[in-house]
Amino acid sequence: MVKSPFRARLLSALDGAQLAIACVVLLAPILWMVAAGFKSSAAVTAYPPRLLFHPTTANYAALFARMPFLDYAWNSLVIAGGASVIGLALGVPAAFAVSWNRMAWPAVAMLAARMAPGALFLLPWFVMFSAIHAVGSFWVLILTHAVITLPLALWIMLPFFDALPRSVIEAALIDGCSDAGVLTRVALPLVAPGLAVAAILCFVFAWNYFLFALVLSGFSTTPLVVAAFNFVGEGVTDWGALMAAATLIGLPPVLLAFFVQRRLVGGLAAGAVKE
Amino acid sequence: MHRRRFVWMIAPAIGFVAVMVGFPFAYTLWLSGFAFHFGAAPHPVGLGNYRALLGDGKFWNGLWITLYLYVLALAAQLVLGLYLALLLNRVKRFRRVVRSVLISPFVLPPVVVGLMWLVVLDPSIGAANYLLGLLGLPPSLWLASPGFVIPTVALIDTWQWTPFIALILLAGLQALPGDVFEAAAIDGAHGFALLRRVTLPLLAPSIVTAATLRSVDLLRFFDVIYVTTQGGPGEASETLNIYGFRQGFVFLDIGYACALMVALTVLVLGAVGLLARMRRVVAW
Repeated sequence: MVKSPFRARLLSALDGAQLAIACVVLLAPILWMVAAGFKSSAAVTAYPPRLLFHPTTANYAALFARMPFLDYAWNSLVIAGGASVIGLALGVPAAFAVSWNRMAWPAVAMLAARMAPGALFLLPWFVMFSAIHAVGSFWVLILTHAVITLPLALWIMLPFFDALPRSVIEAALIDGCSDAGVLTRVALPLVAPGLAVAAILCFVFAWNYFLFALVLSGFSTTPLVVAAFNFVGEGVTDWGALMAAATLIGLPPVLLAFFVQRRLVGGLAAGAVKE
Repeated sequence: MHRRRFVWMIAPAIGFVAVMVGFPFAYTLWLSGFAFHFGAAPHPVGLGNYRALLGDGKFWNGLWITLYLYVLALAAQLVLGLYLALLLNRVKRFRRVVRSVLISPFVLPPVVVGLMWLVVLDPSIGAANYLLGLLGLPPSLWLASPGFVIPTVALIDTWQWTPFIALILLAGLQALPGDVFEAAAIDGAHGFALLRRVTLPLLAPSIVTAATLRSVDLLRFFDVIYVTTQGGPGEASETLNIYGFRQGFVFLDIGYACALMVALTVLVLGAVGLLARMRRVVAW
């Protein structure tokens, strides 16, 4: 069947319209949140909801004046950054060795660790870390979040190492390079794009992760996601300030994800795609 | 040439997982054999916690809610994700912009997603009820309605994760051999017949992959519910994971919570195992 040019154009216009609608549906709640962050408290609770309003930065001012928002942000940064460093430091060499030796079981073990519900570990951690009075410390939060980042780093790096020509590694070994030297001076520069994806996704996952910090963080180590959650429970909720906070908390992962957007889905699905 | 080399580089990662995951997991199994309220001395009950589980109405309620949410959300996401993937495969323009829009929902922290929808769905000030009103429909209580809270959570999760499924299926579609479609077109297959007889069977491995990834997250669903309803109203959105968490960290009934978590883990791994088997059946 030969389609007439008019029919083809009509169909493609219809496709474009459907995709535009899908994008609007996906963006609308996010834009609503961002807008609410710039509304006065009268405008944010107005019904019917207002599309047009006088934007104000009062909510953002309140955020920094009335709560230690920057302290929470610092805590998030320390936890997500620390967990990413540990996850990469342990996961990248492991991925290299697993790939070179074509071993299955270490990767499968990591995958199982990633699939189990978090509370399965959180219960014994809570008992163990309470016993040594370590609940609320940064190092406990960093170590527990590294349980999220390590399998992620390993599985994201695997396909990148698999794609390295073995001859390159063998040549370096024949030249007398040490094991560590082969990894750091030969292999890692060749998988730099993979490292970037792994680093960014580790950070985003640890930044977003809620459950562990909900239980294990303390007064001075509360990360943003837990602080935002606690903010809701405090009686009368200041929706405008809360939406301003939510916007700021959501911004780093979205911006970071844009950097690696072409490889993002492959990274997130790593482990499930490969059999 | 295949020489074993670099094996020692695995040791730190394995050691870390053994200490942080393996040992705690064994400890959970061990604790699930005790009546243990945090702060009091544990005493052994053997399989008592698991027997209690079978007679616990809240466990069955949690299992039912977990499965209800799972089936509802997964079905919606697979259907809409497939629709969106086929659409993305046809529309070649604005790819970068569209992809940026698509990834935004699922890279947002679940806490942010929950808070955002709390405002949109608020029964008295929310935009959602206003939109219903414009369509001439009666307002809904959304998350505050015992009967509608799970469909509402499924709606939120579908909003967040359909684009992810669409992008996985799009990658699958783009990896399909083009000549199959040419041959099918020559044979006169198009429209729905082409989708059902050619595209879907070829895409089945990608669909099962997407379903596996979502199954793991949906069966242990926690964050968005904890932020929005904490299992309420009543116990209407108390998934197994929420129930286990509350049992452990609110009521400090650690032994029983451990048994609940072991049961949930069996459920998740069982589903993943079934889907892995299905993956082999649909392989081509």
